[in-house]
Amino acid sequence: MSTEAIPAERPKRNYNALFGLTLLALLVLLWVILSVATPSFASANNISNLLRQGSMIAILAVGQTFVIITGGIDLSVGAVVGFATVIVAMLINAGVPIYLAILITLLVGVAIGMFHGFGIVKMGLPPFIITLATLTSLRGIGLLMTNGNSISINNDAFQLFSRSSFLGVPNLFWMVILVGIPAYIFLHHSRWGRYLFSVGSNAEASRLSGVNVQRTIYMAYTLSGLCAAFVGVLLASRIGIGNPTQAEGWELQAIASSVIGGTSLFGAVGSVHGPLLGAFILATINNGANLLNVNAFWQRIITGVLIIVIVYFDGLRRRGK
Amino acid sequence: MTSTAQELHPAPTLEPGRTILELKGLEKRYPGTHALKPIDLAFKASEIHAIVGENGAGKSTLIKLLTGVMPRTSGDVIWEGKPAALATPHEAMALGINAVHQEVVLCRHLTVAANMFLGEEDSRFGILQQRAMVREAQKIIDDLGFDLPAHVVLGDLTIGQQQLIAAARATVRGTKFLIFDEPTAYLTRKEADQLFTLIRRLKGEGVTIIYISHRMEEVFELADRVSVLRDGTLVGTRNIAETNDAELVKMMINRSIEQVYHKEHFTPGATLLEARNLSGKGFENVSMTVRAGEIVGLYGLIGAGRSEFVTTLYGRHRKSAGQILWEGKQVQVNSEHDAIKLGMALAPESRRDQGLCLNLPVGLNLNLPIYKRISSNLLISSAQEKAEADRQIANLRIKTPTRNALASSLSGGNQQKIVIGKWLAHGAKLFIFDEPTVGVDVGTKAEIYRLFSALLSNGAGIILISSYLPEVYELADTLHVFRRGKLVATHGFHTADHEEILTQALAEKQEKPGGQI
Repeated sequence: MSTEAIPAERPKRNYNALFGLTLLALLVLLWVILSVATPSFASANNISNLLRQGSMIAILAVGQTFVIITGGIDLSVGAVVGFATVIVAMLINAGVPIYLAILITLLVGVAIGMFHGFGIVKMGLPPFIITLATLTSLRGIGLLMTNGNSISINNDAFQLFSRSSFLGVPNLFWMVILVGIPAYIFLHHSRWGRYLFSVGSNAEASRLSGVNVQRTIYMAYTLSGLCAAFVGVLLASRIGIGNPTQAEGWELQAIASSVIGGTSLFGAVGSVHGPLLGAFILATINNGANLLNVNAFWQRIITGVLIIVIVYFDGLRRRGK
Repeated sequence: MTSTAQELHPAPTLEPGRTILELKGLEKRYPGTHALKPIDLAFKASEIHAIVGENGAGKSTLIKLLTGVMPRTSGDVIWEGKPAALATPHEAMALGINAVHQEVVLCRHLTVAANMFLGEEDSRFGILQQRAMVREAQKIIDDLGFDLPAHVVLGDLTIGQQQLIAAARATVRGTKFLIFDEPTAYLTRKEADQLFTLIRRLKGEGVTIIYISHRMEEVFELADRVSVLRDGTLVGTRNIAETNDAELVKMMINRSIEQVYHKEHFTPGATLLEARNLSGKGFENVSMTVRAGEIVGLYGLIGAGRSEFVTTLYGRHRKSAGQILWEGKQVQVNSEHDAIKLGMALAPESRRDQGLCLNLPVGLNLNLPIYKRISSNLLISSAQEKAEADRQIANLRIKTPTRNALASSLSGGNQQKIVIGKWLAHGAKLFIFDEPTVGVDVGTKAEIYRLFSALLSNGAGIILISSYLPEVYELADTLHVFRRGKLVATHGFHTADHEEILTQALAEKQEKPGGQI
């Protein structure tokens, strides 16, 4: 039992980086193929469009990933997006200054996330159940508030934001960077990030090691709610309306992006770059399929197959190590 | 070794004394450990063969290989004269090999009868014949002499009663070879007697019994032969009539007690912790003190309330009555966080469930309690994170390729070093070690004991929980004996003998029959 020389630190972290690179390669490969196959793919217009499409799911997926790393799931994010469009639309139409309207909407997202934390920690409900309940009831509350109608937002400046670009890159994509960088630092370079992983791996061991497990869970769901409300603001800006039935099924796209990005639904495995790449891979497939005139029904099937293939190979390699 | 044609109907009708199962060079390696070194051993039909050895000697590995739970690394298993692959649990069961585990592995939410017939339910046209099954199960249970109802939900029975059901279940499946893995750990004496009756009866029916136990008296009461394992090696096999306690213990340990149990006596300092009439879930009215520089040992059977007592001290569970004093002042410990802040550290009983984040790196596990310290403002200092982890890995000689290796890839002993090591980096005044050497090899054990001395010499106090009497006996300056949630006796270092302590922990004479430990 001698002290073994500590060899170069290869195994784990590099595996993560390698998986990220593989995803990036896949994304680039898709772009190259589509550029060759269709004349319109590589156009500035289409690329901007693609980035806009992918951005919102990407931000949702980051929040979702925090939750999944703790071993949970947040099914409510799509409903939160729809609900947030209603809130922000109503506030703006009521004459509230835009920055304040956005801030309040984000706080609503935080409150919803806190409620999830409360349900899980204090009431002992499984994450699946409490977020499923929010999914359906938030849509209902939104419909009550709007009487089932869409609310048109009468503010051009608000809508202009999502249509504009900065340095040739759509503003929506800048928002991914705005969320992604702090999220990366939070997850990989702060102790709360470590706690998310440790709680997802073994909550009891974390608790006995002095980690505040309850606070960690609150944090994960709050961040997910915050990301979803933020996406709601972006979506309202993009479509110019508040409508509680918007973003139907986005929770599943967010989960899919996260999983394609290497997040394990069993918890304790995940990153920030993974779900971002996953979201843009999905967006590229949808975009490319549109351009290639592939039946929209097929897009759903392709997405499903892709999830199986990527997660299967990821699992193989993790086990193989 | 007469090889007969394999019987089609698996009724155990072998002539006694014939070899039923033979191991030839059976070996198992895990990454980082050689759990079982090549073993040659033959089991005879209709014998009760005890296997004894310390924790980590390779007993559970042997069971896993024989029941097909784990594949072997090399060697052959000859079953009734023919090589058997034993690659899956199903194959082992088909041959007639079954095991009754220490922890009951049945469905707590199903009825006793449903459990007995799980996997081979009686159905007519796809409809379960529930009443017939209950009747049948009741017949079997009555026949075995267990006084238990077959129609109740398994979870409503005591652990001991569930154990009996697990044993009964194994008997109805054409079993020829039945392994009992420390079956009496949770049983009352009366339940244990019922179990022994069952075991003797199975032997009479020609079943081969492998009986694994820590309790020497049971081995001598039941077994025909006994094999001793030590550090993954088969030390020897003896006829029970031709051996004795002392010889077996010597074979099991093979070193003088002083060599393993490194013990230094320090003059006790100030009182760190005092529990006054503390009660909580699983224990009541416990009072004790822990001083700096001493080891306070808590001995008792599993489920005697020791773990519950220390986890309550540690704020994991709420106390229902009594007081906790820390350095003379009364304190409220409402969470683990409070306890850690006071200066307590707990290395819990189960590495897997409570001690480690198995699928995370060694370094993260080691640093988990100290991330606050190695963060400046919001961010973790990655240089400090690396340095702290590498320091513990080097100091404790944790065998791992790097700090980034997953905790699950390490052997049990090295995992235990992580559980302990994370508190060394953090620092504490009172260390609570709950079964720190379970599943740990002898070498690591000795290292852990030396570490205790180092902690004591730095002025810390230690609470040591162990179900292994020699361990607490040789190490504890003060030894408290627990029985059924109560502190029943207290001894100084070596002021009582093993027998007296054991009797206090078991207290069979006063025990009401049918009760639960």
